[in-house]
Amino acid sequence: MITYEGFAKTFGIVHAVRDLTVTIAAGEVVALLGPNGSGKTTSIKAAAGLVRPTEGRVLLGAPGRSALEADARRVCSFLPQRVTFPESLTGREVAEFYCKLRGRNADRLQEVMKLTGLNGSSRRTVGTYSGGMTQRLGLAVAMAAQALVLLLDEPTAALDPDGTCAFYAVIEARRSEGQTVFFSSHQMGDVERLADRFLVMVSGRLVASFTARELTTALANRGVMKVTVDGISDVVLTRLRAIAPGVMSSADQIMVPGTADVRLAVLDLLRNQGVTIRGWSAEEGRLDAFYRELVEGHHG
Amino acid sequence: MAFTLCAQQEVRLSVRSRWTQTFTVVFAALALAVATSGYVLSGGSGTQDFSRTAASLVELVLLLVPLTSLVFGVMALTPDPGAAQLLYSQPVPRTVVLFGQLAGLCLALLAAQAVGFGAAGLLIFQRAGSDGVFGFLGVVAGSCVLTVVFLAVAATITAGSTSLRRAHHLAVALVVWFAAVVLFDVAALGAASLLRSGAASRLLMVAAIVNPVDAVRTGTLLTVDGTTAFGAASLAFLRMTGGTTGAALTLAASLVVWIVLPLGIAAARVRRADL
Repeated sequence: MITYEGFAKTFGIVHAVRDLTVTIAAGEVVALLGPNGSGKTTSIKAAAGLVRPTEGRVLLGAPGRSALEADARRVCSFLPQRVTFPESLTGREVAEFYCKLRGRNADRLQEVMKLTGLNGSSRRTVGTYSGGMTQRLGLAVAMAAQALVLLLDEPTAALDPDGTCAFYAVIEARRSEGQTVFFSSHQMGDVERLADRFLVMVSGRLVASFTARELTTALANRGVMKVTVDGISDVVLTRLRAIAPGVMSSADQIMVPGTADVRLAVLDLLRNQGVTIRGWSAEEGRLDAFYRELVEGHHG
Repeated sequence: MAFTLCAQQEVRLSVRSRWTQTFTVVFAALALAVATSGYVLSGGSGTQDFSRTAASLVELVLLLVPLTSLVFGVMALTPDPGAAQLLYSQPVPRTVVLFGQLAGLCLALLAAQAVGFGAAGLLIFQRAGSDGVFGFLGVVAGSCVLTVVFLAVAATITAGSTSLRRAHHLAVALVVWFAAVVLFDVAALGAASLLRSGAASRLLMVAAIVNPVDAVRTGTLLTVDGTTAFGAASLAFLRMTGGTTGAALTLAASLVVWIVLPLGIAAARVRRADL
């Protein structure tokens, strides 16, 4: 649905994006992660036809057509990071204008306004909206387009908890309809909850791409198990360290970092050695820590 | 379809804008003031006829219309980045959006001027009859042309940019206005005073064609008073162009260039802009 072929963008002497080659398939929900200035917004805007590639190209749809062609953009709908609308128009007038501009009738408008939590405010002028309501209106406009691809640049940055819930509902609805969503975010909660695939950009380069399953495995491998025991002998501890070198222990607690397999092996060993296990808990690795490692690894 | 929608949207925004509303009231007040107080300077009183009102209105139009067209154009064509990005990401060519917005803005400004011209025209017709109405209509036409020309110039200044550069664009627009309305004539007259009579006439002739404000002034005076209001340079211009028809065509050609060229540049700029 979206294909970046060696896409690069330079603003003066600044290389915003370098040699980005990636394909986002139909029906995927893909999150683009990266620190500020890593090229996320430029990449998403290129797919929306707002940025001309310095090198390479960005194609939309199948067969792919350049995002710079107005008609090719019919397949996608873009929501900018900080969307604004003329203050003298009502929410409904704004949404109707964009529907008509795409040649869509405004049939689904009511439904979309309701989904984004704006139903009661659609007759008010945008000048009376809060920042979060304006962003929700942007989401409603993007949704009402009924495009196959939704491009969202940090969509939850200005949303309150209600707005964030509305956003999640929108994305879930899109997913259930088998449509494509490509979004950038700094909110790890959004990313973990919504995305099927994750792309990480650092300094304009794509440094990692992994699926939700790969992420789950990666996070599991970074997990920690905490076991409460009735004391443990040095012999058992030595055996534990043979299978889990990072084990740490206190009088009645053992901390076991490592993969799920390692943790299971540790539990088996404790049982076999007759150690009384009073309780245990396991915590998977955290996405933010994993992301930080990735970014720092490539910054260095 | 998209062109019409963008134009309609711009008309709607302009109608609701306090700036446009204020301009409508101020322009109407000034036009009525010109119509009703034209005899004051000559010690008289009462409403002027169409010819005298037109001759008085020309200077008001030449001063005010370029300024408002430039300023309103810059304000309307430099949206916030988020608004521009949403608008230009739609499946509509950027030039269609730009020209639609320009058309809507132009309609709104012409409607605002029509209120002023209409009010003054009705008053004059009621009190002084229809003598010289064509001269008055000439001023109205000149005002329309100036609106289009300077909106096109505003589009050239702003095309493809956002409110982040609005202050800069406003400054440029004010410089353009000052250059076109004040500086150009002063410079032309200053240069002409240093030249011999023939060369000075030719310079002033060229000046009348090259500057859209002067072109409209010359064309409007031609409709209001015929050649009686012309000075030596304008008469030389008439001779060179083979009479009033030739002069009118030359001025019209100059103004068409002043509309088409800026619009062409604006279209090229908006197509290439990164938003």
